[in-house]
Amino acid sequence: MKFLNKIIFFFYREYKLNLSGFQDILTNIIFFFVSILIFIFSIGPDEEVISLIGVGIVWALLLLSSTLSLKKFYQDDFENGNLLIIHLNGFSFGFIAILKTISHFLFVQIPFLLSIPIACIILNISDDKFFYLLTSFSMGSLTLSCLGSISSSMNLMNHRNYLLGSVIVMIFSVPIIIFSIGIINIEQNFNSLINILFGILLIVFAINPWASGLCLKLSLENN
Amino acid sequence: MKFLVNPSKFNEIADYIFKPVLILSVILFALGLLFSFYLSPDDYQQGSTVRIMYVHVPSAWLALLTYAVMTLYSIAALAFRIPFGFIFNTAVAPIGAVFTLICIISGSLWGKPMWGTWWVWDARLTSVAILFIIYLIIIFMNLSFENRIVREKVVAIFILVGSVNLPIVKFSVDWWNTLHQPATISKLSKPSIDPSMLTPLIIMTFAFMMIGIAIAILRIKTEIISRKSNLS
Amino acid sequence: MIIVKDLSVERLDKRIFENINLSLASSDITILKGNNGSGKTTLLKTILNIIEPSVGSIYWKGKLLKKNLYDFYSNVTYIADRTSSLTRLTVKDNINIWKKIFLSNINDSQIETALKTLRLENYLNQKVGRLSLGETKKLELLRLIIENKKLWILDEPLSNLDEHSIELIKQTFEDHCSKDGSIIFSSHQNPGIYVTEEINL
Repeated sequence: MKFLNKIIFFFYREYKLNLSGFQDILTNIIFFFVSILIFIFSIGPDEEVISLIGVGIVWALLLLSSTLSLKKFYQDDFENGNLLIIHLNGFSFGFIAILKTISHFLFVQIPFLLSIPIACIILNISDDKFFYLLTSFSMGSLTLSCLGSISSSMNLMNHRNYLLGSVIVMIFSVPIIIFSIGIINIEQNFNSLINILFGILLIVFAINPWASGLCLKLSLENN
Repeated sequence: MKFLVNPSKFNEIADYIFKPVLILSVILFALGLLFSFYLSPDDYQQGSTVRIMYVHVPSAWLALLTYAVMTLYSIAALAFRIPFGFIFNTAVAPIGAVFTLICIISGSLWGKPMWGTWWVWDARLTSVAILFIIYLIIIFMNLSFENRIVREKVVAIFILVGSVNLPIVKFSVDWWNTLHQPATISKLSKPSIDPSMLTPLIIMTFAFMMIGIAIAILRIKTEIISRKSNLS
Repeated sequence: MIIVKDLSVERLDKRIFENINLSLASSDITILKGNNGSGKTTLLKTILNIIEPSVGSIYWKGKLLKKNLYDFYSNVTYIADRTSSLTRLTVKDNINIWKKIFLSNINDSQIETALKTLRLENYLNQKVGRLSLGETKKLELLRLIIENKKLWILDEPLSNLDEHSIELIKQTFEDHCSKDGSIIFSSHQNPGIYVTEEINL
């Protein structure tokens, strides 16, 4: 019971933290829409072409804009020592990684999920494709959060090359994008591809506490 | 076999075998080039371009092999606390990257006359490109961390996480219908390649392996010295 | 409560400190003295089981610390040399968050008196980022009262504080000791706090 309370209040803390930095999340979403705008004008506002490649644009830009907030994943809590305090409060590092991943999913990816309908209206994406996009992203975004947790915990002590974290997330998210776009374009394969996506999610979710926990421990040890 | 995990033992053995390995690699290269240019036949479909295979296939094998060995050393270093694994990873990553680059370049040189294009986005080519980028990330990580202890362990974890790419590279031609042909040589069945072509391929593979080992010995020795003097 | 035997820590083959012996019973105060870079923070982190010692062992309540970690962590408050309060939130929000995540059973009037004695009661609705260094330090020390645990491990608790606050801390330490608590803190000088053991690094 005590442990459950601690988990609940951990999320309360994350909520307060994200509420005070709400403009950051909003900036992410604005980045997403502005880059859609730039994409549309760079290929010309031809409706047929846009509705053909619209889904791909949305997925690629979702990925790019969700990697923007990676640096804040652990960095703030690491630098002001809150990570250590949470650990001393009775959470192992692996468990902190899981909690942080879920909180990243709730507070950063869910706003993107909510902004997908608007993007679909702008890009003339048909209703059935919109449904596939939503299902694939709701599954892929949790995978992206796990990958983000791994890469940002790896780069906690990397003071020279912050961009490496984004590159790591992007390189590992290639299969997710392949299968998600596969769902949308080859509709009869829906079930098998969603199973593959779910499998990737489970694998990454299992690796995440181990890899992130180890990296967090290492960074705190040598800070 | 202690020299595989112990730096000072490694130094002793390396001094013995470095020169033989280097000489062997030169001989094998001469022999292999002779075989692949003059003593092997033209392919009845591909003509003379098939000779690119004698560079392409060995470098691809060795790119994968290097990564596999790095994965093993990462496991050894993290699980059994063998610091030589970290030394090995730091030293060998650029060699693997170069092998991958040779594989990609020779492959696209081969692809242009055969497929009519330098590059296609099929599963095998994409996964090898990802392997190359993973190698690059390992090298950049080695360059950008200030604290050595954190750096080597984080890189080892990254190598382990990145090793999911290895089976994808290996089996991509079996799992998906790709433009790239499936493997011609496998353990389970008789190779579907003529012995006159197999000989230069094997010789070239060993030549690549020997030159790789020679460079690896040099780099590992440098790494050991720089660690002793706390340069990195 | 806590016994440290022959502790040595190495970093990159460089010895940071060696052969540290320490034993802390209840209502004891130990001070770690030493110059900058002598390894005070490293020793505290080693006691907290964040850093692995190369030689030596630590015991908590008669058992090895590693085997008794959960009990140890539920009895210890650690205050680092940097402020852990969230600079974007107000003082009140920070206190509320601390009260919740540490499952503190302290009531509001106790916190109010503590705030009054620390002279922070006028800043309740200020953002922490706008407080001065000494004030954030005092807010940080408020965590000692909120967490309400037996063992206090403090890293440089006296830096940036004025004389009035140092006097307050002296009294708090004495209070804590009279309630069977014990304290380890690091400092490069001792402004007259009563200590039972002094360790020079």
